[in-house]
Amino acid sequence: MIEKEYIKELAHELMFDLSEEEVVEIQKEYETFSKQLELLEKIDTKDVKPMPYPFENETNYLREDVVTHVITQEDALRNASYSKEGHFVVHKVVK
Amino acid sequence: MEKIYKAFEKAKNDKCNAIVTLVEPKENLNKGKLSGEPIILKDNISTKGIRTTASSKILDNYYPIFDATVVEKIKAEGGVIIGKASMDELAMGGTNLAAYTGPVLNPWDYKRMSGGSSGGSAAAVASGIVSFAIGSDTGDSVRKPASFCGIVGVKPTYGRISRYGVVAYASSLDHVGYFTRNVKDASLMLEVLAGRDDKDMTSSFKEVKEYSKLLNSDVKGKKIAVFKNVIDSLDNENTLNLFNDLLNKLKEKGAIIEEVSFDNDLMRTLFPVYFIIANCEATSNHSNLDGLRFGVSEDGDDTREVVINSRTKGFGSLIRKRFVIGSFGLHEENQEKVFKKAQRIRRLIVEEVKKCLEEYDCLIAPASNDIAPLLEGNKIDELSDKYLIAENHMVIGNFTGYPSMTVPMGFEKGCPIGVNITCKAFDEENMFNIGLAIEESTGLKDLVAKVD
Repeated sequence: MIEKEYIKELAHELMFDLSEEEVVEIQKEYETFSKQLELLEKIDTKDVKPMPYPFENETNYLREDVVTHVITQEDALRNASYSKEGHFVVHKVVK
Repeated sequence: MEKIYKAFEKAKNDKCNAIVTLVEPKENLNKGKLSGEPIILKDNISTKGIRTTASSKILDNYYPIFDATVVEKIKAEGGVIIGKASMDELAMGGTNLAAYTGPVLNPWDYKRMSGGSSGGSAAAVASGIVSFAIGSDTGDSVRKPASFCGIVGVKPTYGRISRYGVVAYASSLDHVGYFTRNVKDASLMLEVLAGRDDKDMTSSFKEVKEYSKLLNSDVKGKKIAVFKNVIDSLDNENTLNLFNDLLNKLKEKGAIIEEVSFDNDLMRTLFPVYFIIANCEATSNHSNLDGLRFGVSEDGDDTREVVINSRTKGFGSLIRKRFVIGSFGLHEENQEKVFKKAQRIRRLIVEEVKKCLEEYDCLIAPASNDIAPLLEGNKIDELSDKYLIAENHMVIGNFTGYPSMTVPMGFEKGCPIGVNITCKAFDEENMFNIGLAIEESTGLKDLVAKVD
């Protein structure tokens, strides 16, 4: 059984809350998930490297340090709920 | 423009809850492969000045300041965007029941789901609003709804289509995909969308072929591997009969059909490996949704509280629950036995499939056990082979990055079901050819659901 407090901690680390019902649902769903995790344990992965991407041939490179794709300050702030004098506005951090 | 206005009118009268934003058509003077074609985009594709929500409440007020590369490419070839389509919130889901605008209904039967996560795009094509719609595919999010909606769904090779401007879900699995009503259109659409884009550093430099001109349904001597683990996990006789009929027809056309079995213990990990990798990557990709720089901002006494409230209210329950799984898998004490373990098994699966496709031209299996489930469907046992293998085998296309497509295979209770093929990396030419042979065998093309 996965502890309620642990579930809440995982959620808080990702900066959101869960309702009590959601915590209970996760506990229940975790029972199935933990059985699925057991299926993983059956597979021998000794000396197998993790695969982070489908292809390992390089498609990226360091580009020249030239300015491209510039957006205006107005555009950058367009979707912010609060902005002022060219800045995103948040609550005072240092009080 | 007549065709476009007609499509726009149909989109306005959409009965499947598929369209979330209508886009007033603007004449496009560019002449090209999509001249005069109305196009619908999944709502995770950025459109300059047009609301893009990814069907999440947190993005309800988001207006991108740039077009995704696929949007630029569609416009350059004469296509006209007429709407944005519903999806599972942030593309996380396979039902399209998890959009904050409500479920998308299946155009063949309104009591059934469209499938997801690109369900709105699929329903828009199947109900005859447009002939082309863009989706995205991280697990089977184009290929599964294509099966449930009786249309063609394509997920090309990883890196074949630029993902610049697509709201990211799980970057190592995300692909742009699309829907059409026949294989010829599918081959044409890839010509439009594919190609290197320096704004997506994972996009490939490989040449883009003129797939539609190379189309050829001759499968004589082609070696087709029947995905035996999937067949053994299916229990719907109608699906098996349709599949066997199709195999017989392909045999008559000269294809060599052989059964291939992978280690079943390895195949049982398909779903959990996908679920872990996708959710872990998603937690990191979606950390930018904080309600501060863009998106819906909720009140709070300090910045931390604003972010927590915005994310709590902005994300649906399913998304937050999945994020918890992602957070769990990445937590220091679990990372090795959950996330890294999944990544290691991914490599083993990919190696097995690669070996198989070195010998065969494609891997084939029904896309699903059944037609689209009812909206209030029975819950399937998530530890059964039917769920772990038969309902989730198409994640192989995302693990490997190999091209994969679903084509209609037949009907049950008046609703369609598709067949899926997966080919070698960048072998889309061959995939379309086999797809065309399937289409000719079944005679199922240009299907439109009779919407009343």
